[in-house]
Formats: sequence, C-alpha cells, structure tokens
Amino acid sequence: MIDLVQNTIDGVMIGSSYGLLALGFTLIFGVMRRLDLAYGPSIMIGGYFGTVLYLYYGAGPLAVASAVVLGAVIAGIYVERLCFAPMKAGAAIASMVSSFAIWMQLEQAAILVLPRHTYPFPPLATVAPLEFGPFLVRVDHLIMLVCALALAAAVHLALYHTRFGLALRAIIGSPVAAHLVGINVRTAVLLTFAGASAVGGAAGFLVLAVDQQVTPMFGMWATLKGLIAMMIGGLGSVPGAVVGGLLLGIVEANSQWYFGPQIRDLVAYVVLFAFLVVRPRGLLGRAPEPAMPPKA
Amino acid sequence: MLDISDLVTAYGKIDALKGVSLQVETGKITCLLGPNGAGKTTLMMTIAGLLHPRRGSIRLAGTELVGLSPARIVAHGIALVPENRLVFPQMSVRENLLAGAYQRNDKVSIDADLKRMYALFPRLNERTEQLAGTLSGGEQQMLAVARALMSRPRVLLMDEPSLGLAPLVVTEIFNIVRDLNRDGTTIFLVEQNAHMALQVAHRFLLMEQGRITFRGMPGQLAEDEVIQRAYLGTRRAAG
Amino acid sequence: MDDYLIGVLSNIGVISFVALSAYLLLLTGEISFGQQAFFAIGAYAAGIATALWGWSLAAALVWGAAVSGGAALLVGVPTLRLHGLYFAIATLAFAEMVRILFELFRYQISIDGELIGPNGTDGFRNIRYIFDHNIDAFQFLLLIYSLLAAAMLGLLLLERSRLGVIFRMIGQDETLAELQGIPVARRKVLAAGIAGTLAGIGGGLYAHLTTYVEPRIFDIMLGVHSLAYGLIGGLGTAFGPLLGVLIDIGLLESIRALAGYRMIIFGGLVALLLIVRPRGLLDEMVVHKIGRGWRRVSLWARRSSLKPRGNSA
Repeated sequence: MIDLVQNTIDGVMIGSSYGLLALGFTLIFGVMRRLDLAYGPSIMIGGYFGTVLYLYYGAGPLAVASAVVLGAVIAGIYVERLCFAPMKAGAAIASMVSSFAIWMQLEQAAILVLPRHTYPFPPLATVAPLEFGPFLVRVDHLIMLVCALALAAAVHLALYHTRFGLALRAIIGSPVAAHLVGINVRTAVLLTFAGASAVGGAAGFLVLAVDQQVTPMFGMWATLKGLIAMMIGGLGSVPGAVVGGLLLGIVEANSQWYFGPQIRDLVAYVVLFAFLVVRPRGLLGRAPEPAMPPKA
Repeated sequence: MLDISDLVTAYGKIDALKGVSLQVETGKITCLLGPNGAGKTTLMMTIAGLLHPRRGSIRLAGTELVGLSPARIVAHGIALVPENRLVFPQMSVRENLLAGAYQRNDKVSIDADLKRMYALFPRLNERTEQLAGTLSGGEQQMLAVARALMSRPRVLLMDEPSLGLAPLVVTEIFNIVRDLNRDGTTIFLVEQNAHMALQVAHRFLLMEQGRITFRGMPGQLAEDEVIQRAYLGTRRAAG
Repeated sequence: MDDYLIGVLSNIGVISFVALSAYLLLLTGEISFGQQAFFAIGAYAAGIATALWGWSLAAALVWGAAVSGGAALLVGVPTLRLHGLYFAIATLAFAEMVRILFELFRYQISIDGELIGPNGTDGFRNIRYIFDHNIDAFQFLLLIYSLLAAAMLGLLLLERSRLGVIFRMIGQDETLAELQGIPVARRKVLAAGIAGTLAGIGGGLYAHLTTYVEPRIFDIMLGVHSLAYGLIGGLGTAFGPLLGVLIDIGLLESIRALAGYRMIIFGGLVALLLIVRPRGLLDEMVVHKIGRGWRRVSLWARRSSLKPRGNSA
C-alpha cells in the first residue's frame, strides 16, 4: 500500500511533465489538425543548446532553462516553416511525413555536433529528499511539479483571457470562420508553434534536469510521451493534456515498480490502445467527428 | 459600393466563375439567386478572400480587394456570414461575438455593440454563456449574422442564410435582414429560397453556371420564372 | 556482381515489402505507422520454423506470411471504427506493443548442444538456413526479387481490378462507398490482412538474409520509413514505394562520402519534395499522364504496323 502511494506520488511528479509535453502537442494539433512528429526532437535541440551552455560556460539552471526554451522555439519555427506552412489543405500526411524527415534531420544534426551518447544537465536541487511520514518526495521532483502546474495555469490563462487565446480557440473551432472574422491565421499558427515549442522546451528542461542528462534519444521519447498523454487525455483538450499526463505518469510509475521497465512501456501502449479502441476521444476530449482528422 | 468585374475563379481545372460582373449598391439589398453549383458560394468565398481569382477585380468603394488576405478584406469592411454558419462551437455566444470584433480594440464601443446585438437578437441574449455548438440551427444563424455585424462592416455578405432552417425561422431571419438594411447596412445576399429573397431584395441577379444571366428588380421577371431558373437553371430551347 | 551490391539490392528488395504494405493501406485511406509489427512477426515466425523446427524455407515463408496476415486481420477488426489520426496512433501503439512483447519472448531449444531461438532483447541468432543449405547470396537475391515481382504483379493486377477500384473509393470517401453498397468494413479488414501478409513475407526473407533479428530493429523508425517511401516515390502506383526505397537505400547508401550527413540531406530533400509533390514523385497525375502517353504510343505503333504496303483497301 505504501509502495502504491509512493509510486503514485512519483508518478504525479513525472506525469506533470508529460502533461506539459502533451499540452504543447495539443496546441499544435488543435490549430493544425496535423501531427508534428518533430515536436520531441525540437525540444531535444533545445536540450542540446542547454547542455552546451552548462558544459562550456558553467551556466546555472535558469540560464540553461532559457537556452532550452530558446533552442526548442527556434527548432519549432524551422519545422513549422518547412513542414506545415507551405502545405496545402489536403496534404496532411505529407506534413506528417515531412515532420518525420525533419525529426531524423534534427537527430543526426545533434549527434554530429555533440557525438557522445549522453551529456550532463544541471540538477534542479541538491538537498536531501523531504520526508512525509513513510513517503519520500524528492525536492527536484517537487520543483518540477510546481513549475509544470504553474505553466499549465499560465497557458490556460493565455487561452481564455487574452485576445490571442481567443484567436487560437477560434482557429481550433473553425479555421474558415477564423479567417472570416479577420484573424490572421498564418501568423497565429506560427505563434502557436512558437508558444507550444516554448512550453515543450520548459517541460524538456524539467525532465532533463531531473534526469541530469540529455541523450539523442530524448527526441523520440518526448514525442511518444506527449502523444500518449495527449491521446489518453483527449485530443485537442487542454485540461485533458494535463490529466492524461498525470494518469500516464501514475500508471508508468506503478508498472515499473511492480513489473519492471519493459512492462512499464508495454502498459503505457496497452492503455493507449485500449483508449483508442474503446473511447477514442480520451478522458476529456470531444467525440471525434467523422470528417476530422483528415484522411489520406 | 461593391464593384465586381470580369471575375474568373477556378475550382481545380474547372472555372467555377466564368467572368462575373456585378454591382452592389450602397444601402440596398442585392440578392443573387441561382441553382446549386452555379458558383454562388465560390463568388462569396472569392470576395471574402478565401479563394483567389485567376482574373478580374473586386473593388470596395474604389479599393481593389483581389490579392488581399481575408484578414485585410475584413479590415476594409467586408463581413461574410458563411454557408453552414460556421460558429465556433466550443466558445460561448458572447465569445463568438467578441471574436467577430477581433480587429477592433475600442473596448467601450465593442461592449456597446454587444448590447446592441443582444437587443437585436433576443434569443441570443437569453443564452450569452451557452456554447455555440449547442444552439439550434436558427440560433446559430442569428449568431453568425451578429458575429459578422460586430466588425461594423460596410458590406454584409450572406451565403444562403435560410439553408436548413424551418420556415418560421427563415421569416424571422429575413425580417432581421430587412431591419438591418433599414438601419443603413448594405447587404449582398445569396439564396436558393427565391420566394423569400425576392420579398426583401431591391435588386436581384441570376447566376447560372458561373455567369450572370439576369439583373434587374423584383417584378421585372415573373416570380415563377425566377424560381424555375433559380432552382433548375434556364431551360434550353427544345428541338 | 560483388557482394556489397548484392547486399544493398537484397536490402532494397526486402524493405520494399514493408513499403508496399504501408502503401496498400494508404490506398484505402488509412495511415499506418505499424506495419513493422507484421514484418517482425513474419521474421520471427519464419526464423523459428527453419531454425527450431527444421522446416524448409518455402514452408517457413508461407508460415511467416500466414501468421502475420492472421495477426493483421485480428488487429484490423477492433481498429475498424478508427479513422485518420486515431487509426494511425493505434497502429503505432500496436507495433510498439509487439516490439516489447518480442523483448520479453523467449523460446529456445537445444539443438546439437547449442541453445537456438529468440531470447528476448538479445534477439534471435543463427537463422542459418541459407548457409546450411548452400544457397549463396546471389541465389537468395533472385529469390527475394522473384517474390517481390510476384507481389508487384499481384498489386498491379489488384489496382486494375474491381477490388482495387473499391479500395481507392474507400480511400476517397468511405460514406460514399458505403452508399454504393460496398461492404466497407470487410474490405478494409481484407486490405489490412493483405498488407500484413506482404510485410510478413518481407520479414521472413529478412530474417534469413541477415540470419539475426532483434526487437530493436522493428521500431517506429522502420514504420514511419515504410510510410515515407510511398509518400516519396509516389502514391499513384505500386512502383511508387519501390522508388522510394530505391532512393533512400540505394542512392544514399552508395554515396559513402556523405554517410554522416545522410539523414540531414535526405531529411531536408524529403521535406522540400513534399512541398511540391505532396503525393510523391509518381503521384496519381503523373501516372495518369504516363498512361495516356503510353496509350498514344501504342496506338501509333499499332496504326503504323497495320498500314498495308501498297494501296489501302
């Protein structure tokens, strides 16, 4: 029982990062109706910016975090300009395959510049874990949770209480009508990509700092976690992304504890598959319309 | 007010508009009638900037609109109430209206306009916080019109406002159209429901297969001929 | 032919099966990131058949194709109601589940004092059939390409057949197809089954070509690559995916000097290509034009050959 609760606590912590990753993914999907497979790799590029700053200039966590966010945004804009902006309306798979091609491009570019298998990241905290009765809570985990929740709240605020957020929700609701009310959709989409990449970058920094390392495999890992959390929580749902992330974190932490890392990954996919077959809209998403998302 | 000349818009390889020329007079209601597939929606989409014509010009009070982005066309004073309404389903009635005023930043007069819309459309007033996707067809149509009006357009375009609505609701909508025009709004209206359209129109045009085949005033053509041509197109001389 | 070239060509041939597999599903309008699962199942099944059960290669390949085809049918049913993105992600999830299951899968038999068989993450070694039976690399290459040619023939015939038209109709608009009386669900499951079988044949060949498979090979990269080949080469014809494989493996493998930058160049080129040709090089329009050109040429040739010498009647 104690293990279950401890695992759940740990799961919630890491899950908050999954939620942030899913959040960025959801925003991009919401305005584009297309999957950006280069999302995780963009964040990885940010991670590499960060590690360079840390390794060669000894920068502190805040500076490294800014570098990660900056790198992710630059990579994200690159992906948007190349894979999404120039594509016409019906070319959804072309965009996805194009983003996959850039995923591989970014991964190889990163390996060429920094060829080692792993690079260090500054820790978030170096104090001993806190004790709450029989439960241990790592301080860096706690920082991660607080930052993630704060960011999610900030995104929510931006979406529901700013003019730009209104434009975003309009585009998500009906891209054609958004044009008709005078929203500059192309610019809004570009800014959304940048914003989503920034959120992803922040999530990436938190995870990498807790892990204290960055590897070239981080790109695929981040994309997968974000994707699974997004689908479980509900495609296109902002609160869903957070809930999906937390749920994924909890499920993973417990699976890993009781059954090991392979079963942990297996369970994540089984849960995802089960959701898709039984309730594709996820926990909080809208029921999928037959016409959406676009087919081949 | 709106001067369209020799407009050619392609749909894939086919020309949906084959050289359309027409004028929309300031302060009047102009109706465009025609059968399905004649090109009416293509024309509306082209004026609004969602489609780019291959040739021709669209002038609003002398300013050329062809080549501008949809957002800039809204800025110049065109607002389109699209076919199928296209409200923002996950946003409330109030948010939909605010979206309509997106390009404006004079908060005080936006609020005044909001109140004006609620007064004009009492059914919306009862539902300001309701999600637009849960409104009935007629309510969504009113919302779409009100949303378009929030940008204070010089020309209001309406694409088949009666589509899919019950007759009572259609009458309500057309009463609103008449009232709006009395307050000074220039309206360019595309319709299949020739009967209702002819009751409000000052001038009307017939479009068949991408061309304007008649322009005049209600009464110049016998109503049944109009209805026939609006639904079926001109019968080609037999034999 | 030198060994290196044989190796590259064999690789191209085998990977083409997975590319064709993803392409077939794309025709019915569904994106699959998971055909590598059936590639894996075919590889393991066929490998087990020859290495552990002593079957002949032919029997093993049939067995591998059958198992993967069956698995595809099984998975096709629950995912029927899913479309577009949801279906794509379901295929991804399924393929990863299969890969992880192979990481946990152990089935070893002692043969001549050696432990042979799949051993989880360590993989499945010693699938030595072609060596034990003195089939040299060139002969195996011929086998791969004869099977590939047969598969291509089947697909090209399919495309001209009523079933092929039905698949493309489903791909364009399912509701419309349903209204025409097409049993859409059954046809889609059929397409999934055929696609899975294709991938399974490729897998069986792959296992014997490389004599060693491990779960790591059958990852998402392979899956998205398979899809990409069709997108690059063109979705208008079954030759499209082949062209895609040829371009990726053939062209870039042979430019040794660029090896370290291969993905950077290739990735960028693919992205640029897709901007101008979102349905690939040999897309439906190009194929249509080639078809017209071909008909014109053959009509001209027939007319010229029919012209009688001397007076015409």
